Amino acid sequence: MRKSLYLTGMLMLSFFLSRGVAFAQDEEKKWYDMVDFQGYLESDLRFIVDDWRGPTDGDGYKFQMNRNDLDLRLGITPFETVRAVVDTRLRMYGFSEADTMQGLNKRETVDPFAIYLDEAYVHVQGLGWEGMDLKVGRMVQNWGTVDQFNPTDNVSARDLSDPLDSFAKVPNQMIEIDLYPADWLTLNFIWVPVFKPSMLPPSANLGFAIGYDENGCFKDLPTPPMKIEYMEELMNMFGAIDPCSLNFVDPEMQIVSPDLKIENSQAAAKAKFLVGPLDFSLSYYYGRWSFPVPATGYAGVDNNAEDPNMLDVKYIVELTYPRIHVAGFDFSYSADWFFDVGFVGEVAVFFPEKVDFALRAFQNGNLIIDKVNNNVPTTPFVKATGGFDYTFTSWLYLNAMYVRGFLDEFNDMYGIHNYVVMAWELKFLEDELQFRIAGIFGPDDMSGSFQPRITWVVVPSVELFLQGQFYFGDEDSNNPLDFKAKDKLAWKPVGRNIVALKAKVSW
Amino acid sequence: MTRKSMAALFCLLMLVFATTAFAQQNIDKSNLTPEQILKGQDDFTNGFADQEMEFTFNVYDVNGSLKKYDAIIQQKGRDKRLIRFKSGEVKGMSILTEENNRMYVYLPGYKRVRRIAAHNMNQSFVGSDYSNNDMAACDYSRDYDAVKNKEDDKFWWLTLTPKAGKKMDYSKLVMKISKDVFRLWETEYYNHKGELVKVFSIEEPKDFGTKVTWPPQVQMKDARTGHKTVLEIHTFKVEQGLKDSMFTQRYLQWAR
Repeated sequence: MRKSLYLTGMLMLSFFLSRGVAFAQDEEKKWYDMVDFQGYLESDLRFIVDDWRGPTDGDGYKFQMNRNDLDLRLGITPFETVRAVVDTRLRMYGFSEADTMQGLNKRETVDPFAIYLDEAYVHVQGLGWEGMDLKVGRMVQNWGTVDQFNPTDNVSARDLSDPLDSFAKVPNQMIEIDLYPADWLTLNFIWVPVFKPSMLPPSANLGFAIGYDENGCFKDLPTPPMKIEYMEELMNMFGAIDPCSLNFVDPEMQIVSPDLKIENSQAAAKAKFLVGPLDFSLSYYYGRWSFPVPATGYAGVDNNAEDPNMLDVKYIVELTYPRIHVAGFDFSYSADWFFDVGFVGEVAVFFPEKVDFALRAFQNGNLIIDKVNNNVPTTPFVKATGGFDYTFTSWLYLNAMYVRGFLDEFNDMYGIHNYVVMAWELKFLEDELQFRIAGIFGPDDMSGSFQPRITWVVVPSVELFLQGQFYFGDEDSNNPLDFKAKDKLAWKPVGRNIVALKAKVSW
Repeated sequence: MTRKSMAALFCLLMLVFATTAFAQQNIDKSNLTPEQILKGQDDFTNGFADQEMEFTFNVYDVNGSLKKYDAIIQQKGRDKRLIRFKSGEVKGMSILTEENNRMYVYLPGYKRVRRIAAHNMNQSFVGSDYSNNDMAACDYSRDYDAVKNKEDDKFWWLTLTPKAGKKMDYSKLVMKISKDVFRLWETEYYNHKGELVKVFSIEEPKDFGTKVTWPPQVQMKDARTGHKTVLEIHTFKVEQGLKDSMFTQRYLQWAR
């Protein structure tokens, strides 16, 4: 109901604003100049083209998404130095969630939707001094010079809920002060009062799924960040038991979020310099790692109350967001002396908070395993990305990068790994038809993914996309007891093989 | 229409729009050398302290199909330029050129400002074949030698060839320049094989409410395919006192 009211209100607001603009055109042009309006409608249909990367074998070859997004972005500039931006998005998910008769009475279960407020902020220029800007409100920050794999970009959490949109961020409330003391220097200071975590792909739960064999009997536990000898001890606990007698309750992944104390807020600062053909920044961030890190595990085995031949097993993992300090450097450089190639790079040194992983296992209430090992050491570690882009012809473009440390890698027991990222773009028919093939390859474990995309600009403002996301490598760990043994990009929690058909109209 | 064509089109457009204290000066035009005429053109191009133009970019394919994009260009002096796209799938995209050809693009889909390397000057954008290079300042007298072919009461005809050591896209240009305000009315472009590849022309200038008149449309036509691009000018303003601060990354973020 509240969603419906919100939606109605938003649409009425849009209507009256548009009417207001129309009136303003007739009566006073200045009002028209104060308002700008953008948005898009996007329809997104996706199909899973595998049946081996789901929660169970054989789950696949079905629709994954049937989504429509309506984005409305309004900018108001009431004064020359004041600007407000509101960016809302209505998302219709397209799959009925009605699983009871009562649910069929409610539109929101038959046709579920959500309303996002992607941005809502006020920007004031020349606050107190001509060279000072203030931004307050809900927004995202995009730091760094490389594409997508920005180790210095830690202020805004990632939104990885859509595997085909890896640039998305989670908006958050923040205060930003920008200083422009000279043409060659920009200073940014940001304070984020409340921490927000990154959003994960829908498949992320598979990282903590119980493995079953073809008979539906227990096969293996999700591998926690523990020493192999500890894992062997844990598995031995189950090894003496008929695996078909184990009744696993779905594992619980409990998130331990930082409380709302001011000391849990985040702060960041950046100094950007322009020196001839080189732009570079020095940055600092203090806050929390936005991806959850396992900290404790609990396994309990109890006799089933109804069937004496069965054992109930409960597995709970607590995940935390460790504190971090990050010192960063990024640059972009146009090499006029070397075919006009553009080079970009980022280096970030992380100073993490120590995270130990503790596992306790109980059998009928008796503690039988109590192990602790270090998951994230306090040792500083480096993540870096370096790359170049080049336009060979008006229709052929290449962007290539080396990445040290994937988006979610944090020097836990899995460690920091190496990746090569490459994207080719080809344009034909005066850019009306565009082909893009992008890929990520991890030489450490020989896994990877690639994303082909065809874009057809039917007419200006109207685009059709046919794209896909495919993974290769070994989905199964070569040692289920070893947290490090997974093949990163082939790992099932990363996502499904899909093809997508999208249509987008922008205004 | 190739990106080179568009580059030439933009340069010519700016020439056409350029106005001119120079033209209004009381000079004896009968004795101007070809170099002086060409230099005059270059001065026209950047003859204003600032200028602003709103236009629709009409691309006609050979099959008659039409693509339209609305845009606004603001320029200050020779080096500072801001282009914002107002329609199409690239609405909200902005390109900033600072001094020394330092270029940045704001991409609304990514909500970030990104520096454009020099190679990108040849990259087409906006879903059309308009390249970053098309926005570069034109300085024909720097790159070409000029010879006067003929003249009548109203026009000069100049033939331009690249200066020694200059590697240019065309082997020859033939320009038709009016004597009244040094307006460029037509240009023929010849490739390195000596073939006519395209022709630029303008419509009769009209009053846009500024102190000079401007053509409401300019056209570049591919002489081989018949493909053409027409810029439909809606407004043209000069000497508005555009601030330097408009041509900064700060403003690029602000105006998004």
